[in-house]
Amino acid sequence: MKRTDLKKILVIGSGPIVIGQAAEFDFSGTQACRSLREEGYETVLVNSNPATIQTDMDTADVVYIEPLTAETVAKIAEKEHVDGILSGMGGQTALNICSELAENGTLKRLGIQLLGTQPEAIAWSEDRELFREIMLKIGEPIPKSKTVCSIEEAKEAARELGKYPVLIRPAYTLGGTGGGIAYDEEELEMIAGRGLIYSRIHQVLIEESVLGWKEFEYEVMRDANDNCIIICNMENFDAMGIHTGESIVVAPVQTLSDEDHQRLRNATIKIIRALEIEGGCNIQFAFDPETREYRVIEVNPRVSRSSALASKATGYPIARVATKIAVGYTLDEIPNRITGKTYAAFEPSIDYVVIKVPRWPFDKFRTVDRTLGTQMKSTGEVMAIGRTIEEGLLKALRSLEIDKSYIDPGNWSEEELENELKVATDQRLWAIADAVRHGMDADKIAELTKWDVYFVNKIKNIVEMENELKAGLNDDILKRAKKMGFSDEIIANITSSSEEEVRNMRKSKNLIPTYKMVDTCAAEFEAETPYFYSTYETFNEAAPTNHKKVIIVGAGPIRIGQGIEFDYACVHGVMALQEEGVEAIIINNNPETVSTDYDISDRLYFEPLTLEDVLNIVENENADGIILQFGGQTAINLAMPLQNALKGKKTKILGTSPNDVDVAEDRKLFSALMDKLGILQPKSGTGYSFEDVRALATEIGYPVLVRPSYVIGGRAMEIVYNENELRTYMESAVKASKAHPILVDKYLSHAVEIDVDVVSDGKDIFIGGILEHIEEAGVHSGDATMSLPPQTMSAEVIAKIEEIAVKVAKALNIIGLLNLQLAVKNGEVYMIEANPRASRTVPLVSKAIGVPLAKITTKVMLGRSLKELGYVGSADHKNVVVKASVFPFLKLPGVDSILGPEMRSTGEVMGIAPTFDESCYKALVSSGMNLPSSGGVYITVNDNDKPEVLAIAKDLSAMGFEIYATKGTSTYLREHGLQTTTAYTISQNMDPDALGLMRGGKIQLIINTPTESSGARRDGYMMRRLAVELEIPFLTTVQAARATVMAMKRAASGPLDVIDLRTYCGNKN
Amino acid sequence: MARCFLILENGTIAEGTGFGFEKTIVGEVVFNTGMSGYQESLTDPSYKGQILVMSHPLIGDYGINPRYSESDSVQVAGYVVREACRDPSKMYGGKSLDDYLKEYQVPGISEIDTRSIILDIRSRGVLKGAITFDDDPEKLLDEVCKMPAYSSKNWVGEVSTKEIVRFENKGAKKLALIDCGVKGSILSELKKRFEVIMVPYNVDKSFFRNEEIDGVFLSNGPGDPAHPAIQESTIQTVKAIKEDYPIMGICYGTQLLARAFGGTTYKMKFGHRGSNQPIKHKGKVYITSQNHGYAVDEESLEDTGFVADHINVNDGTVEGITHKELPVFAVQYHPEASAGPHDTMFLFDEFKKKLEESR
Repeated sequence: MKRTDLKKILVIGSGPIVIGQAAEFDFSGTQACRSLREEGYETVLVNSNPATIQTDMDTADVVYIEPLTAETVAKIAEKEHVDGILSGMGGQTALNICSELAENGTLKRLGIQLLGTQPEAIAWSEDRELFREIMLKIGEPIPKSKTVCSIEEAKEAARELGKYPVLIRPAYTLGGTGGGIAYDEEELEMIAGRGLIYSRIHQVLIEESVLGWKEFEYEVMRDANDNCIIICNMENFDAMGIHTGESIVVAPVQTLSDEDHQRLRNATIKIIRALEIEGGCNIQFAFDPETREYRVIEVNPRVSRSSALASKATGYPIARVATKIAVGYTLDEIPNRITGKTYAAFEPSIDYVVIKVPRWPFDKFRTVDRTLGTQMKSTGEVMAIGRTIEEGLLKALRSLEIDKSYIDPGNWSEEELENELKVATDQRLWAIADAVRHGMDADKIAELTKWDVYFVNKIKNIVEMENELKAGLNDDILKRAKKMGFSDEIIANITSSSEEEVRNMRKSKNLIPTYKMVDTCAAEFEAETPYFYSTYETFNEAAPTNHKKVIIVGAGPIRIGQGIEFDYACVHGVMALQEEGVEAIIINNNPETVSTDYDISDRLYFEPLTLEDVLNIVENENADGIILQFGGQTAINLAMPLQNALKGKKTKILGTSPNDVDVAEDRKLFSALMDKLGILQPKSGTGYSFEDVRALATEIGYPVLVRPSYVIGGRAMEIVYNENELRTYMESAVKASKAHPILVDKYLSHAVEIDVDVVSDGKDIFIGGILEHIEEAGVHSGDATMSLPPQTMSAEVIAKIEEIAVKVAKALNIIGLLNLQLAVKNGEVYMIEANPRASRTVPLVSKAIGVPLAKITTKVMLGRSLKELGYVGSADHKNVVVKASVFPFLKLPGVDSILGPEMRSTGEVMGIAPTFDESCYKALVSSGMNLPSSGGVYITVNDNDKPEVLAIAKDLSAMGFEIYATKGTSTYLREHGLQTTTAYTISQNMDPDALGLMRGGKIQLIINTPTESSGARRDGYMMRRLAVELEIPFLTTVQAARATVMAMKRAASGPLDVIDLRTYCGNKN
Repeated sequence: MARCFLILENGTIAEGTGFGFEKTIVGEVVFNTGMSGYQESLTDPSYKGQILVMSHPLIGDYGINPRYSESDSVQVAGYVVREACRDPSKMYGGKSLDDYLKEYQVPGISEIDTRSIILDIRSRGVLKGAITFDDDPEKLLDEVCKMPAYSSKNWVGEVSTKEIVRFENKGAKKLALIDCGVKGSILSELKKRFEVIMVPYNVDKSFFRNEEIDGVFLSNGPGDPAHPAIQESTIQTVKAIKEDYPIMGICYGTQLLARAFGGTTYKMKFGHRGSNQPIKHKGKVYITSQNHGYAVDEESLEDTGFVADHINVNDGTVEGITHKELPVFAVQYHPEASAGPHDTMFLFDEFKKKLEESR
């Protein structure tokens, strides 16, 4: 029964997107808030990530965008007089905060109850020793292991286990940070040392290796009445040793007999009972295919990325139901919303297979080690639904949006291939397909990859179909290829025809997809919730309605450069359509997101986002319109091809016309337009070969910014200072060709970059926000720290910016969103680029001004005017909002943490406060920076930056920090009257050097602006890597240093207030 | 790959790829929503005479292994799947579904839009149907429509033991198992706890006079419990002994008990077949394995002394009955699982306790 003693409940979010913690917690937190509100509870939500639906003022009653620290959460809980805190919806971040609030007595002091996962359960599942005790008590097998607190103990534990390899698992970390596999004692020392540092309680586990065993996951729920149900089980293609987040996963389990499945099911239920978890829980098993023995590997006593996947895979809303359980309901009291006829107390049965494939950021980090292991490196994932494994895999591959949409042939030698099969990287699928092509026996491939031969044979089936296609296309082969999941494009590539020809042939044979419903019950009951996937069979269940309807194309997997911000915009698009009485249809393939919650749109198609897949849905639905502005580059790339394909059809592309989009995206056309409008631009040009590019660079003058055309997140973008660097770039980073030109721009050094977000209805424009970058131009806008409104711009410059926005919006006939990137130097404003779509900053700006930009955009696209909606001119600001970025360097060994024109951050946070310094402090803390209040600062800057760094150093010194500096910097500071300690450079190999000081705990903050000399670069790299690993804040621009130190100064002067978003927005008027 | 057709009485003729043994068969078409345990279903005698459609699209993935047979042969008349796995995992030996069905001379059809067939069954109720490898399936449609109703045949007679079989278990209580087509795993759960004497469904009443036993078990089985042949044999026997022993029934056994005490049964629209059926018993929810097309009418229990104390959470149907005075109970679902969850395995222990408590 529902608890009536609770009135107000706090939900804790998970903060920014990081590797291991992505959009899934926006999905769970949002479901939780909706679930609580429909029960009549008042909800308070706290999260530092503005690009989330959960931080919308219509998701929760009271929203705080504040740093996710125990201290802040305690302040909010106290201020809001909450009765309970829902612990399990914000990932490890929220669980850790809850543990801390329980441990430090805050909960007791404030009389607040933890709802859902209890502190004991968190401790039981997270503390290795306690977990072990419980498993032993209930007789569930776990890998033999020992918890250790030092490297010596680790070595001793490995000796006791008797053989290498051994696994190292730090306690209380995200996504396995700092874990690893050691094959000998030397590796053990290194990995255990690192793990001890990362663990919140400085504890790691040394564990028996179950490498090569199969890996299974079970999602289970339990209520207060001890009813337990399994929602879904999942099987990893990859064996133990590769993090489940890094493996291809299939649901449901395919290679276990019912007997063995029931053994794991029984164990799962036994464990959730022993841990007394009320709500959802995820349990991972290792299973030895030789002996059929199993081990319990891990328990997550909360909703997780796997549970998000399980929710989308089955249609069972785990977070929603877990929330109901947390407030007292039992499973048999909660209706199943998909069927509307049954209850939450059942186990879903699915009549399709779900394939998940991770999306790695290796295209962004060319130097990174691509080997997959126990540490997560992927930023996101795609899910595909099909009736066979082959179909699911092929759909997932084309959903990934990497440079390959199929397992096409590579050019490995036999030896390389064998190695590629043995050591998993992101290339594994391709290697297996190639091994099949080389005629390698499936059993041999299975042995090398530790895959079950069952999965290898699925790849083999695909390759065999490829061979059949190669031999010649006919109706029968086409039909079977489509049924297996081959796209028109791939069939065209294999048969040397065009996608259009294949599509025409297919349609002439009436080979069109059927859409099947995801209904939790394998068709046993009638379902009410329309959630569909395509397959080529006989009966189509997605009969279109007669309502006016619009399709929104989603953004696909979370990757660097295209994150949760775009999903946010898509969801707002859906809401606006519904507000206008239009049926909203979503197409997307990312299982973590809110947009793929079947509860959000009127119809959800869980499908790849290629032209073919989108067009098929457009045709099935005969929709009135389609919106491409919200799904990032994924959707906007479809503009021209869709426009061509939709000629003469009912469905219209809403908003800015694709032809105008093309003007904005085509450098030449855009440049000509800017000239016509009298808008300044850095000199630029387009080259189709190295010679072209070199000539251009010489003409424009170094430094120049070079990049390939049509990319997102500034992929492969670099600033080059001379011809040598240009040559290296052209040889290593890009392939220039007629089809893939290289863009060359003059790099404006020491300019300030500006982002502008605008909505236009074709007549009027509304400027949502002008954001000033803190770092100087050259740092990608996705990585830059930004302030809204600008802090250093004169009224005159602002007026110029606004004038440019109006001109460009008019000239490009923008209907909807427009994002401008501008640079300001010496009072002049230069155009860098114009993006005629939702930008990454749309959610942040919307939160800052209290105006939902994406919703307004949608309404404008439906034909409403900005005037009638009441938004013309510029939004005003009473508060200052600062955006800070979060970087994945800790998870990616071998990557330099220096910022540049290529985007590297995975997520962002927002600080909001009455002043810039306060807001900046909140943003930096939210981004995970450990801002010190005392200790030492290490400063080494180039000559240009010395005068500016002097003032910063003086402030730091006045705050009581000890200043360490390299010789040049130190001399300069001393000459200007500062006390400093001179440290040696690393290359001098003398004590004290920077690395020694850092390791010795003397340095709490580093200010290092890079210089051009290669020795300093190498020193800088080593220092930056160590800083990343020791989590010492590291500032690489003097502007960031200034802002950070001012923020620290503000924090030192007294505590900061927590204020909810509505109050902030209310202040405005 | 052989061309093959699935024919349904509603006029559906679906072309697929044949596998298993090539012959034409007819039967009642039913569906199962379990995602694992296909071999257990294939060999479950309760599927006698039925064409089984699997809702999970991938069948045969982990191969076939003798340990997962519920009886000594494949019992279904025909098998309908979306995909029959050609190259299964080798963890359990790697024998393929195709080879298995060939061995037991049962035809299968794959590449079928099984979900669409299930939607037909859901809206129309179970359908008569056929699988054929002949090139002219239309011809067969008429035969399918005219085929006698599933209920009209005494299916139990085909699967019940022909003679009395004894399973020694020194020191354990002695149980008479009336075999209407008992699943192997029920027998093995019983053997763990009792000395079992398995008798034919139509065993003579004198057996109970001559044999010293402590309890009676009524097994699962195929077909209609209201069939005259059953009415005259098993039901009469149960009526005669119902107050003399602790009795437990499973599935068909539940229906027999209800009828023997004066209740009635009915044919369900499309039954319950799968591993995910929630039932509520004494305030708690259990997930159960089920395979039944007939059910006990709750209203008819009024004067029987039974209470329906196991209820399906989804549709409210009777999932188990317990007698108010006598040590007699039965469940419509399968506590022995195989395939399915083990949540209710404790019922066998409760039955054992009942035997130990009586006298």
